[in-house]
Amino acid sequence: MDKEALKSELKVHLVKYLNILDYKPEDIADDMPLFGEGLALDSIDSLELIVMLEREYGIKITNPADGRKILTNIEAMADYIMEHKKE
Amino acid sequence: MLQAQDEVYISGFGCITPIGSNAEECLSSLRSGKSGIRRPVLFQSKYASLYLFGEVSLSNEELLSQLDVAGMKGLTRTDLLAFKAFKEAVESAGLSPEEISSPDTAFVSASTVGGMCLTDQLYKDSNLLTNDSEYLDSYSCSAHANRIVERYQIKGPVDVINTACSSSANALMHGARLIRSGRAKRAIVGGVDSLSKYTVNGFNSLQILSSDRCKPFDSERDGLNLGEGAAYLVLERADELKGKKASAQLVGYGNSNDAYHTSSMSDEAVGILRAIGEAASMAGLSGKEIGYINAHGTGTENNDSVEAEAFRRFFDPVPPFSSTKSYIGHTLGAAGGIEAIISIMALGHGELYPNLNFSRAIQPQGLHPITEFRKAELEYVMSNSYGFSGNCTSLIFKKA
Amino acid sequence: MYLIDMLAISPQESWNGKAYLNNIRIVSGNKLMAIEPDYGDIIKPSQLRRMGKALRMGIGCGAELMKRNEELDGIIIGTSEGGLEGCISFLNQIVDYDEGTLTPTNFIQGTPNLVAGHLALISGNSGYNITHVNGGLSFENALTDALMLFAEGKAERLLVGNVEEISDYNFNIGYLAGLYKGEDSLSSGLIGSATPGTLAGEGSAMFVFGRSKQPDSLRLVDVACISYPTKEELSKLICRTLEGKGVSSSDIDAVIAGYSGDSRSDFWYDDITNELFPGASVYTYKNLVGEYPSSSAFALKLGFDLLRGDSVPAEIVKKETGRPLRNVLIYNHYRAKQHSLILISGDFSPEKDSSP
Repeated sequence: MDKEALKSELKVHLVKYLNILDYKPEDIADDMPLFGEGLALDSIDSLELIVMLEREYGIKITNPADGRKILTNIEAMADYIMEHKKE
Repeated sequence: MLQAQDEVYISGFGCITPIGSNAEECLSSLRSGKSGIRRPVLFQSKYASLYLFGEVSLSNEELLSQLDVAGMKGLTRTDLLAFKAFKEAVESAGLSPEEISSPDTAFVSASTVGGMCLTDQLYKDSNLLTNDSEYLDSYSCSAHANRIVERYQIKGPVDVINTACSSSANALMHGARLIRSGRAKRAIVGGVDSLSKYTVNGFNSLQILSSDRCKPFDSERDGLNLGEGAAYLVLERADELKGKKASAQLVGYGNSNDAYHTSSMSDEAVGILRAIGEAASMAGLSGKEIGYINAHGTGTENNDSVEAEAFRRFFDPVPPFSSTKSYIGHTLGAAGGIEAIISIMALGHGELYPNLNFSRAIQPQGLHPITEFRKAELEYVMSNSYGFSGNCTSLIFKKA
Repeated sequence: MYLIDMLAISPQESWNGKAYLNNIRIVSGNKLMAIEPDYGDIIKPSQLRRMGKALRMGIGCGAELMKRNEELDGIIIGTSEGGLEGCISFLNQIVDYDEGTLTPTNFIQGTPNLVAGHLALISGNSGYNITHVNGGLSFENALTDALMLFAEGKAERLLVGNVEEISDYNFNIGYLAGLYKGEDSLSSGLIGSATPGTLAGEGSAMFVFGRSKQPDSLRLVDVACISYPTKEELSKLICRTLEGKGVSSSDIDAVIAGYSGDSRSDFWYDDITNELFPGASVYTYKNLVGEYPSSSAFALKLGFDLLRGDSVPAEIVKKETGRPLRNVLIYNHYRAKQHSLILISGDFSPEKDSSP
């Protein structure tokens, strides 16, 4: 899967897993911050996204602190997934 | 202050916990510092080999053989634990079958897991994968209470409370209020919960389970151990005791909400302080008279530091305290009832039960729980219980 | 205790006052689903997205009432099952993913005390907070709790309410247990149905009660409950409860009875209304909202609306005597096991006993 397709897919998962009401997948920009500003997600969302990465991409993040670094925005998530799929 | 006709006494109790199948056995474990936290033998879960638990050692078959519940179908472990403690409680208070089913006798129970201990069966039933399941009426938080009501023909006021981990402390409070309002002359109160995949996976998802024995109030604490058990107490109005020896009097209670976060407590301990304060003021105490606090003390990072902060702010000096969850684990809906019984035993026998697994105090409060069993002259003891969604309850017992 | 304000989300258009009484909805099938309002102004989108239906209804209803009525001394909720959808969806994930990595959202959602807790959280209310979960008596237990708090002098104003949702899971379990009708039916034909089972319902009704008398004097006088009674025990309880409040059975102008259309257990309502209240009108409500464990909360909302003098819709009349309404008794049972009475009155001349 190329990176653009992966990013689109990630946005769909994000909206589905977090049941986001005020954004459609296509409204989420690649560089929009997920936490703090932008989507303004919280710590429970980050746990949800860690579960999403495991279930959808087979990627296990054991340390939640690492999670926050990977989950800065869609771009960063896509990079991380592509890197770890190569391994 | 309470008027004479409002005085509510504890005339009997019963419990089953990881440190004993009845109150007497629990007492001897507390005195000898014997913990019930271990690898579970009966509980089936992927996490059974990863974490330690407070498991009641009796199997469902053994429990059944000790109970008179012939003909009742669909009994869960939650139901069996509840029946066991209930039976001991009414026997210890010397209640006759007529007294138990009198319209003047209330029953207030509590549970958070209910019949969901049958995770896999519930999965099948709720997804229409079964025929003729005997458990369809077994799942809700009130199922165990319905069974007790049916078996003992309880005709007075019945209630079941779920305020998460403070549930059965609220059941005690509610029973006392039913008596004081004139709606009942006596009340059988308490709660039950059994180990379940549901709660283990839930607490695991919150990352607050310890893979070691929990270390309440220790600076290195790293989470709680889930436990199971049941506890019931018989509360009676002073003039209903009729010569019976009461073990304690319930003189104060306070209920509040921390109104801060769904699964953690505020640094300022708003809810905890309000519950403690209301209980103390109802009992007409300033705090100095409290000789022992049975703390909520789960062993999680958040709970113990906030509870310690509340102690530091309210008490001067902070009375001796300990968390007996270090013996039993966190029994959720049963915890308030079990810890009320432990508080009453401390009061009755004039002794303090140590907080296990403690070595260094949480800073900046620097509070040290009791770490050795010892005798003490006690007049008043406090028992605290806190639950998710901010529910806080404090109870104060007086020596009878 | 006295009614200050109320609000209900139900299968009827009850969100906006009493208009539902003039326009009763009829539903076909065996589930009466609640009509939910637009929560946009009440619940933040970031919170709303995590809420299952029970939470949305309970918090939507409660938060709106709390906006209109500040300075409440506590929050008391009755719910048999709380957010069961979230709870069982968590449980399904435990089994489907073999106890794999799970997130806490559904676990926390599944705790029944979350509605009361969340209402405290969003309003910053650190007062009395409790959740009663005693099946078909959950809401009555909540009312009793409020009556006692007022009598103890520990509260001036309280929020009391219920919530219950239809989830696929509890519907399935109830269906297997024979609670619901096997055949598709119309809610309008529910009362008097000759078949076993009822229609599932859901909703939330919330009330703000005050300790002291309010301008329109709508009063909740008393509540009483009994489990697994014989008919004699139930009759005795009814008489004792009324007597205790200085009311005789002939003072009851109407009984709102919990007829559920279940041919196995509706005889209780016939027997009690015929034998104890032959001179009273008899009204029904489950043909409007279906059956669920804390449905008497909707009956209470209906009762207060009728006491305020609204014309009684023909759909709910089982028996009409034409008596003006002053004392109304709500009698309900859940699965013929848990029976309850709620006595309300448009008490225009206060009793000598001024206790709440």
